[in-house]
Amino acid sequence: MKILATILALLPVFAQDKPASASGAPLQKPPAEAASPAGEWLTGSIEIGDRVIPNIDGSFNTYRSVVNLGEGAKLFNADFTLRDPKHRFFDQADVRASDFGGEPYSSVRVDVRKEKVYRLTADYRNIAYFNFLPSYADPLLTQGVALNENSFDTHLSSTDVQLEILPGHWITPYLAFDHNTQFGRGITVFTTDVNEFPVATQYSNQTNNYRGGLRMDWSRYHFTLEQGGTTYKDDQGASEATANPGNNTAPFLGQTVFLNQLSELYRVRGDSYYTKGLFAASPVSWANISGQFVFSQPTTTTSYNAASNGNFYLSDAAEFFTTGQDILTADAKLPHTSASFNIEIRPFKRLRILEYWMTDRQHNASNALLTENLLLGGSPLTSAQLAADRLAVNYSQQEVDLLYDLLPWLTLKGGYRYQWGDSTVRAPVLTGLALESGNLTRHVGIGGFTLRLGQKLRVIADAEGTTSSEVYFRTSLQNYEKTHIRGTYDLSPSWRVTGDFSLLDNNNPDPSIRSDFSSKMESVSLFWLPKGGKLVNVLADYTRSSVRSDILYLVPQILSPADSSYRENGHTGTAAVSIKWFSFGGSFFKSSGSRPTAYYQPMIRVSVPVYKHMMWNAEWRYYGLNERFYSFENFRSNQLLASIRFFL
Amino acid sequence: MAASAGGFYFNSVAGAAFLAWATCLAASAAPASGDYTGSEACKACHEEIFNKFQKTPHYAVESDARRGWEHNSCESCHGPGAKHAESGDAAEIRQPAKLKAPETDRICLNCHLNTRTPVGRIAGGHAKDEIPCTTCHSIHEANGAKLVLHRPAEVNAQCSTCHTSQWASFQRPYKHRLPEGAMSCVDCHNPHGSFRPETMRYAFGNEPGCLNCHNDKRGPFTFEHAPMRMEGCTACHEPHGSANPRMLARHEQRLVCLECHANLPLLNQAGTIGGVPPAFHDLNSSRFRNCTVCHVKIHGSYVDRALMR
Repeated sequence: MKILATILALLPVFAQDKPASASGAPLQKPPAEAASPAGEWLTGSIEIGDRVIPNIDGSFNTYRSVVNLGEGAKLFNADFTLRDPKHRFFDQADVRASDFGGEPYSSVRVDVRKEKVYRLTADYRNIAYFNFLPSYADPLLTQGVALNENSFDTHLSSTDVQLEILPGHWITPYLAFDHNTQFGRGITVFTTDVNEFPVATQYSNQTNNYRGGLRMDWSRYHFTLEQGGTTYKDDQGASEATANPGNNTAPFLGQTVFLNQLSELYRVRGDSYYTKGLFAASPVSWANISGQFVFSQPTTTTSYNAASNGNFYLSDAAEFFTTGQDILTADAKLPHTSASFNIEIRPFKRLRILEYWMTDRQHNASNALLTENLLLGGSPLTSAQLAADRLAVNYSQQEVDLLYDLLPWLTLKGGYRYQWGDSTVRAPVLTGLALESGNLTRHVGIGGFTLRLGQKLRVIADAEGTTSSEVYFRTSLQNYEKTHIRGTYDLSPSWRVTGDFSLLDNNNPDPSIRSDFSSKMESVSLFWLPKGGKLVNVLADYTRSSVRSDILYLVPQILSPADSSYRENGHTGTAAVSIKWFSFGGSFFKSSGSRPTAYYQPMIRVSVPVYKHMMWNAEWRYYGLNERFYSFENFRSNQLLASIRFFL
Repeated sequence: MAASAGGFYFNSVAGAAFLAWATCLAASAAPASGDYTGSEACKACHEEIFNKFQKTPHYAVESDARRGWEHNSCESCHGPGAKHAESGDAAEIRQPAKLKAPETDRICLNCHLNTRTPVGRIAGGHAKDEIPCTTCHSIHEANGAKLVLHRPAEVNAQCSTCHTSQWASFQRPYKHRLPEGAMSCVDCHNPHGSFRPETMRYAFGNEPGCLNCHNDKRGPFTFEHAPMRMEGCTACHEPHGSANPRMLARHEQRLVCLECHANLPLLNQAGTIGGVPPAFHDLNSSRFRNCTVCHVKIHGSYVDRALMR
């Protein structure tokens, strides 16, 4: 790999042709694009290269959790368009692929179409999903014990294929298939009453979605009817074949609690069907309406088997046991209905009225039967528990907005939103209640304006304010004000300044909650693109953000209220300077407060046209994470990348 | 509550009245009138633009008689162009990119409303018609711009020119990998509108778009964690980026949990859901500072009501 990287890195030295961009062609568009040697039937480009990572210092697992770019030969990008001049099987086919060769997110998309006959699209994505952060998962970290708990190293892959028949006609049938999988391994925790044991686990889940429908298009009316079905399965196994002392190695009531052997398996199977209807219409030039209705009903069946032996403690019986077996079967059903309706009316030239209504209703009902067999002090004990659970959520929203063009350059906005809902959930056993219920009632006032002074200045401001009498959770938005202002000003044809300000204040004065939350973000950006940015372009952005959160919580062991406070003051900067073949920049993030963190990502890149249809790229990047309180998670990495891009 | 219900009733009646009014006054679709000149005349002066336009999907309008603009594709958006062709005066022709945002959107949505796209259905203009379609889509693909961006890095660059503060959040260490070009904004959002808040895309019919990738969190679980359904992922996570591992909203994981699970036992004074705290847990012990070490199935469990397995 390093040989390939060296060859790629030295490629420009051997280049004999006069660089194509010496003629003044823009950097991103080499002349090859204009005159394809392959002719019009095939155009595109392909970029291949190699990444070398000389060092990853510090926590490799955190590096993989945060960055996860790897070494080796890569296909960075491929982009082809095929045209059939005789229009036999297709008119045009587009193929786009990016980041293959061990990259954390690979994708390929194929789009083939023949006008008025068919359109076939296929999309594939493969995502490396890795997470292992000791400060998140390890309860003994403050005692200096580093355990492998709650980590996973998995791959998600997603495939979508859709075939449209007779596109462009008033009626277009379509069929589609989506296939998603996740598989991999990790560490999870097997928990018993007085100890927990990190054990190896394997994940495997899969979802298939089948759908078909009819789309009907007239000039002013559109309807879509779709019927779909989903099947899914979710399997997880955990195992341990050697003695595992667990996190609690101190004797409990004179005995050590340990795990000798474990075999644990979840097996979940489910399916769902759904019906979806969409419509949109512009019956008159001054009104649009649209709406959507979806009903789905997933059902699942679950089985769970666990067999373990070692030395464990059962709090309910106040006895130790050596062998345990759990067998569980369960079912769940979740009918889910959603609907929305929108209307936009422009009764006068200056006025727009937007009406929006939506509802979302879910009712989860389930039951489970658990049988437990234990070997207590040499004698078997069998118990069975039957459990039923319920979750009902109803949410609705109604909003009316008025937009009035007060002046040709000023639009005023005002509106009102009403959100309401109710929910019932199974209460935790400790409450002594069977069910808990919550309600939501929220009235929101909406205001704002849009200001446009020619093509130079644009300012958009939105604000919301509300009082709520009932919310679902202690941390929910209760009495809040939300403001967002963003503006753009073109100082000259080559200079642009943008600003962005957002503020969210929320509080719940209830004496048992006393929640006070504030989040603020201010951002200013500068763009300099002389002569359209063909030779030089500069952009710089600075953002200052702050979060302040105070809320009462009960310290569990004394049931006494105390403040939970969170503070974060962050500074983020990004910059990118591009001068002909050369670009540099990067970003930084530095915060103080509850979790002081610094994260730096500078980069330098050179892109040189070396032959008529070839461009050479080289790049250096650095990733550096520093956390003051969790320095064991710090990492630093330099990365070198070289690639060549061929244009057809 | 009565006032609230009254507000709903008023809004519903008002909406229905407007709809009825709109329907009653609906006139038949007026055919485009005026003095049209045809695309060939446009091409004579704007050949470079026309040649690029020919390679875009919109060129289908030129040859498709059913759409009503055969040989008049330019004027399907720019309006009648005969006067402009005669005088050469830019003021004599409609330039959608320079109209007010809702007017531009109206031209586009006349054909595209409800059209399926890779990121979802086009339900309307961006930001309630305040940002016109032409801000993101270059219709003629002039100056190297594209009609539709496909590569994640290009999409992200496009979105971040306006959503600067959101882009700043992605510079934090724990985030979705957008700065690496591994994902794009439209993987989660449908900029053309959605019935979910924050123009979120949806998955599997009507579930939150997060489940497109995180489908192991979908369920339905036998034992649901209520915030998953009621407030969504953002109840605990900051999806754009966070200084805290796993994009949590707090620096210590237990505080994420205890801020909700802190109601007084039995009294439920504040009328909120969350139940009592786990009274037998000793937070002085580091063992109890990371709740998900035991409650590993925090998003929902198929087998355990306490979400422990």
